[in-house]
Amino acid sequence: MAIFDEESKRLSIKLVYYGPAQSGKTTNLMRLHDILRPDLKGDIMLMETANDRTLFFDLLPLGFKAPSGLLIKFKLYTVPGQVVHDSTRKAVLSRADGVVFVADSQRGQSTNNGESFANLEDNAARVGIDFDRLPLVVQFNKRDLSGILSEEEVLRRWQAAPWPVLFSSALVGDGVVETFNALLKQVYDSLDREFEFQARHDLSRAAFIAQASGQIDRSPP
Amino acid sequence: MNSDTEHDFERDLSLADLLRGIDKQRLESALQALLGTAFAVSDHNGEYLLGAADLAGDAPSLALYGELEPIGQISAAIPQNRLKAAADLIRLLLRANARYLMASDLHLQTQQADFEELQRRHKALEQSEQRYKALAETLEIRVRQQVKTIENTQLKLYETEKLASVGRLAAGIAHEINNPIGFIRSNLSTAAGYLTALNRIDELLQTCADLSSLKAAWQREDMPFIQQDMQDILQESIGGAERIAAIVKDLKGFSRVNDADWEDADLNQLIRQVCNVAAAELRDKAEVYLDLSQLPLLHCHPGELGQVFLSLLMNAVDAMAAPGKIRIRSACRENRIVIDIRDNGRGIPASDMSHIFDPFFTTKDVGKGMGLGLSVARNIVKAHQGDLEIKSQPNVGTLVSISLPLPAGR
Repeated sequence: MAIFDEESKRLSIKLVYYGPAQSGKTTNLMRLHDILRPDLKGDIMLMETANDRTLFFDLLPLGFKAPSGLLIKFKLYTVPGQVVHDSTRKAVLSRADGVVFVADSQRGQSTNNGESFANLEDNAARVGIDFDRLPLVVQFNKRDLSGILSEEEVLRRWQAAPWPVLFSSALVGDGVVETFNALLKQVYDSLDREFEFQARHDLSRAAFIAQASGQIDRSPP
Repeated sequence: MNSDTEHDFERDLSLADLLRGIDKQRLESALQALLGTAFAVSDHNGEYLLGAADLAGDAPSLALYGELEPIGQISAAIPQNRLKAAADLIRLLLRANARYLMASDLHLQTQQADFEELQRRHKALEQSEQRYKALAETLEIRVRQQVKTIENTQLKLYETEKLASVGRLAAGIAHEINNPIGFIRSNLSTAAGYLTALNRIDELLQTCADLSSLKAAWQREDMPFIQQDMQDILQESIGGAERIAAIVKDLKGFSRVNDADWEDADLNQLIRQVCNVAAAELRDKAEVYLDLSQLPLLHCHPGELGQVFLSLLMNAVDAMAAPGKIRIRSACRENRIVIDIRDNGRGIPASDMSHIFDPFFTTKDVGKGMGLGLSVARNIVKAHQGDLEIKSQPNVGTLVSISLPLPAGR
């Protein structure tokens, strides 16, 4: 859950990239670090082992100031996808305000995707997250590869699910910002009830998304 | 700061946090040497952490960044570009330390969570172990109680089965006994009439001394016939009483089924008794042929073995679709007594053969048997260390072989 620091007028929002091992969670974060231009962008912190596998988590801090002066900080985390690191996954998922589920589009990965999604659901319940109300978008990554499920197949399989499904090639940067924006849209709606962004901070949903992505038109009117 | 926040890897790290574990003196002297002048590092509250706390307040300064925001500053009287290089160097150092701190805090956090989970499971396991222990302790007692209940029920069922087969004979035996009783009673009435005639002659004997009139009365009462007939009816009644006695004697073999005593018995005699007792049941249904060889006495429970023979004989009778033949043979060979009961009834279908010894398996009509006959028979034979085998061919007949061992050395 988002942490609001009254004294320093600061709101911390935690977003987690979840998914099976090597589906491209870290790559998503790296591309966002390259592409996004928000007011505040920290260094990306990668914790990986020698064979490019995330050991604890990756972290990308972002932030911007709302017209009211409220500093909105985003901490984007990835979880380690390997099955053995479940305790770490649980700790990183704890208190998340939104989740991007990064699925692997390759045909052979459907089982891994399914198991990881079930694991997300289980862990959400264990750390006290109401899964039905959790802002969540599903990203089918690696669209640049061959031997992948077609968009029609993916959409048909996820037809009954309530979450938006997006397609990406994180390696080349396609769809990464779109995914992030889709999540921000849900996060804004989810947090607006508590923090009244529009009423108290003069912050519309469109501005929220644009500023977090750093794509706002800054030229004076 | 409590332990919860200390181990939360997501906490905001202050400049003091990030410098922890770094050799302060070496860092200071390295920076001093690189910058070539006095410098100061303070956190965002203005508290000095490195360098000269007494540095002139108007020295140029540059913010040191944490994740996103300034967490402190560095001041030194040097050109901006060199100050920035120093700030970058410190930031790199802090970031490396931040990585370590976050990773170690997360590690501690997950270890703690895993340990608590382990303890919780351990406790749950201990509780379930306690439950199983308690269950195991009462289980033995409960099993013993159940076994006793089952044994009692089984005993009652077997008793019922024995009574049922004896009961089946009761009607026939009653007829066998009623028949002689009928003519004995009739004979006794006749004898009572004869006594009245004898009394009348006795009265005459008191009053008249005339032999001829006495003789006439003797003839009038038909006494010569009475004499002869009295002889006949008494003889007949004695025969009838003996028949009843014989039936009762045979029946006694079965009335002692609960008698636990073992005794030496002649199985041939037992077979004959069984056939006598069953005579009424056999009538018009089957003819029994006995082919009995001389047998040594067998130390056995005669009542129970009689039960076996009766049960098998009744099965053979029931197998008859039309009046048939039953042959009972006894022999002694290789230190065993072998008794074969063969019938030419309808036989046992192959599909039933594997079930015939199952308790409560029966092909007879409801009320004609509980399906315990063969099961009980085999149990009794086994209690005598013997074997009971059945061979059957549909529409040809069935052969039941009982083999009982004699004590070694006989």
